[in-house]
Amino acid sequence: MLWALYKMFLKKINIWYISSFLISLIVAVPILTVFSSFFDTTGNYSIILKNTFLYEYIFNSLILLVGVLILTFVIGVSCAYLVSFYSFPGVNFFKWALILSFAVPAYIYAYSLTAFFENYGTAFSILKNIFGEARYNSYIPKFDGMIGAILSISFSLFGYVYVLTRASFHYQSQNLIELGKNLGFSKKKSFLNIILPSARPAIVAGLSLVAMETLSDFGSVSFFGISTLTTAIYNAWISFDDLALANRLSFYLLIFILGLFILENFSRKKAQYHTPTKSGFKKKMPINLTGRKSFLAFIFCSLVFFVSFLFPVLQMLYWTISFPKHLTDLNLIKLFSNTMLLVFLSSILLISLSFISNYGNRVTRSKLLSILTTFSISGYAIPGIILAVAFITFISWFDNNVISFFGFKTIKSIFIGSVLGLILVYFIRFYSLASNGLKSGYLKINYSIDESAYLLGYSKFKTFTNIHIPYLKNSMLLIGILITIEVIKELPITLIMRPFNFETFATTAYIFASQDLLEAAAAPSLFLIIIASFFILITSRFILKD
Amino acid sequence: MNKNFLEIDNVTFTASAKNKVNNVSLHIENKGDIICLLGPSGIGKTTILRTIAGLERIDSGKIILNNKVISSKDTHVEPENRNISLAFQDNSLFPHYNVVKNIKFGAERNKNKKKNLNIEDVIKFLHLENVVNKFPHQISSGEAQRASLARSLLSNPDLLLLDEPLSNVDQNFKEEIQVKLKQVLTEHKITTIIVTHDSYEAFYLGTKCGIILDGQLKQYDDPYNVYHFPNSIEVVNFLNRGTLIPARVTGENSLESIDLGTIKGNFIKHYPKGSNVKLLIQPEDLEHDDGSNLKLEVVDRQFRGTNFIYTLKTPNNLMIPVFVHSHHIHQHEVDEKFGIKRPINIDHIVCF
Repeated sequence: MLWALYKMFLKKINIWYISSFLISLIVAVPILTVFSSFFDTTGNYSIILKNTFLYEYIFNSLILLVGVLILTFVIGVSCAYLVSFYSFPGVNFFKWALILSFAVPAYIYAYSLTAFFENYGTAFSILKNIFGEARYNSYIPKFDGMIGAILSISFSLFGYVYVLTRASFHYQSQNLIELGKNLGFSKKKSFLNIILPSARPAIVAGLSLVAMETLSDFGSVSFFGISTLTTAIYNAWISFDDLALANRLSFYLLIFILGLFILENFSRKKAQYHTPTKSGFKKKMPINLTGRKSFLAFIFCSLVFFVSFLFPVLQMLYWTISFPKHLTDLNLIKLFSNTMLLVFLSSILLISLSFISNYGNRVTRSKLLSILTTFSISGYAIPGIILAVAFITFISWFDNNVISFFGFKTIKSIFIGSVLGLILVYFIRFYSLASNGLKSGYLKINYSIDESAYLLGYSKFKTFTNIHIPYLKNSMLLIGILITIEVIKELPITLIMRPFNFETFATTAYIFASQDLLEAAAAPSLFLIIIASFFILITSRFILKD
Repeated sequence: MNKNFLEIDNVTFTASAKNKVNNVSLHIENKGDIICLLGPSGIGKTTILRTIAGLERIDSGKIILNNKVISSKDTHVEPENRNISLAFQDNSLFPHYNVVKNIKFGAERNKNKKKNLNIEDVIKFLHLENVVNKFPHQISSGEAQRASLARSLLSNPDLLLLDEPLSNVDQNFKEEIQVKLKQVLTEHKITTIIVTHDSYEAFYLGTKCGIILDGQLKQYDDPYNVYHFPNSIEVVNFLNRGTLIPARVTGENSLESIDLGTIKGNFIKHYPKGSNVKLLIQPEDLEHDDGSNLKLEVVDRQFRGTNFIYTLKTPNNLMIPVFVHSHHIHQHEVDEKFGIKRPINIDHIVCF
């Protein structure tokens, strides 16, 4: 039996298998490190933490999560519903404009929110300029602390729910809507009983992404001084130099995220959801809104667009113009070239390796490989901070136990505080984005297409280069752009892993903001938003199409 | 040295743990022969083709093509090195290339060899002229199937495998393409295995037919023999071209049936006098005769253009199919009586 299994295994081994295996293993290393931390001994800080703030951290994380999920659900689903099912002035503009909120990272939104509403902030200046000198500060609401964090993260992340729900609504057949009418449902009943439930997987997928991003958010919660599990991990490592505890806390966070997934899966049971098919699909006819309803739909979408995108952009622009010295002090070329270097290297690495891994999985159809890949892509659920810490933990362990054992020179400086290390952690962090993107492209290619190529005399390599790469070039382009947007915005990994004096727009903005120099943070933030918006506008072509 | 062009020797074809075609042995003697495999859906016909093409492995037996073992427990020649072409039932065109580019993929493999078929000719006979510049998603499933067939034909394979090649093709093209396809395959001596569930297609195209039932190759013979001399009740039931009625052997060349009376003919197998058998009555075995005293009730009449097939009910409630030319003199309505010519003479008597 074992011999037969061994022989079966040997039959599947080829260069594609080995490559895919190694790639998945590299991505899985930090996750395995986090899991192994469970057996490590932690320092005294863990006892102090357990007796003092740990439950507060967990509570804060939960409040933040619930608040953000509710808000992103309401905003994301409402916007998606309005632009998908109705026709009103500006609807075609809102379809893509609402995606622009992706360009504003939560931490930059947090700076804008604070800058606008703080005492003697922008709101105060506007009121003063219009109505003259008065004591406006007490009338201006303050969005700081937990509320500020919830608003910042929600307006920065609702795009996930919006895009995925909109895609699901887009593929809902007119038949489904007509079915509701046939059953005598009102519009409200149709929405609640037919449209919303059939979009449930997309909404849940969007909310899952929001949940993961929220739990891993570092920039905005640290700016608002809220202690969450993520900041606790950062503190355990930076302030108390306790890597083991940082990993232990990461483990708890990971379990928490995993629990959310399992809960959702259980709640779904065996329900089948709408899948678009070419034959049964009937294009929707949007309902033409008129009068008050049309005006309300327009106002709602305008408000979301203004608050999520224009507001932070205008705030940053206002400051950049008001304090030109900060702009001239910036070495824009250096910041741009550093950011683009990271974008270029990580895109190349991610696309090429995830391509190889996907093809390897496809060719070998190995269950083991498939399980390992699924496990490794859960890296996306792990906050950037945890990945960086786990990566450093692993390199240190490897250096102390393996490299020094053979008497080689230390490798820490090659991987820690270097562009190589930074790119590698980006690779682990965004691997699922690249891999899943390609996988969804691959799902559209029937296996019989590969088999046809083989039967026409094409080798596996030739099938890969002549059939798959040309077919998936659009997917690759889209993934490249998505990686670019993520890398431009990425903060915690860059902060931890970057070489000395190597700054990007994100790190520069963060450093100024953490020193309470929000005016100085405006220019790099603005450039970050402009570059990200540019790439998002290119991506919107794909997003709106598919 | 093996004389056969293709030899399948005791191979078990495995589609899944439950779905297998066991211990298949068959051979194709000559280059250019066409064999058809018939069987119900999901029986494993496609798996046989996939295995011969090298897309699936085997654990027992061996497959030999042109005196070379291409599949056995220890040998597996990769599909790309077999020079076997398989046209899939479903659309397997490369989605990012137009139809003509897809077809040319087939010809590309063939570029260093002597060209047998011309692209333009193949496109023409498969009626693809109007879709050559379209992409796979812009054409119908029938057109995609024909394009896939064109690609396979042009690859000039040693062995061509066709999986339900005309199942999606419109009926008005189907017969014409069948004729032309047979002509091309025969003319260019392209050895072919065709999988189909359409017995008419199999009988027309195949030099031999294999019937796959219950996980076995039940019969492998000339189409005429498969139809007229089915070797088991399962094959009779599968072909659904006759009825088994109880009868008693009364002599060297005769039987007696309660429903039809005396039946004469040549037994293809010897049965002792007095044996109780099940006699196969096929639609063409009985003749219409309004003057006969053997009259049965019409329960159904199928008009097939050139002929009618009547279903007649016997006093013992057996349903018997009868074929007649579709001339006015043979027209009878349901519930009317239909005369059967006596004595009944059957060319060959098949009993079980």
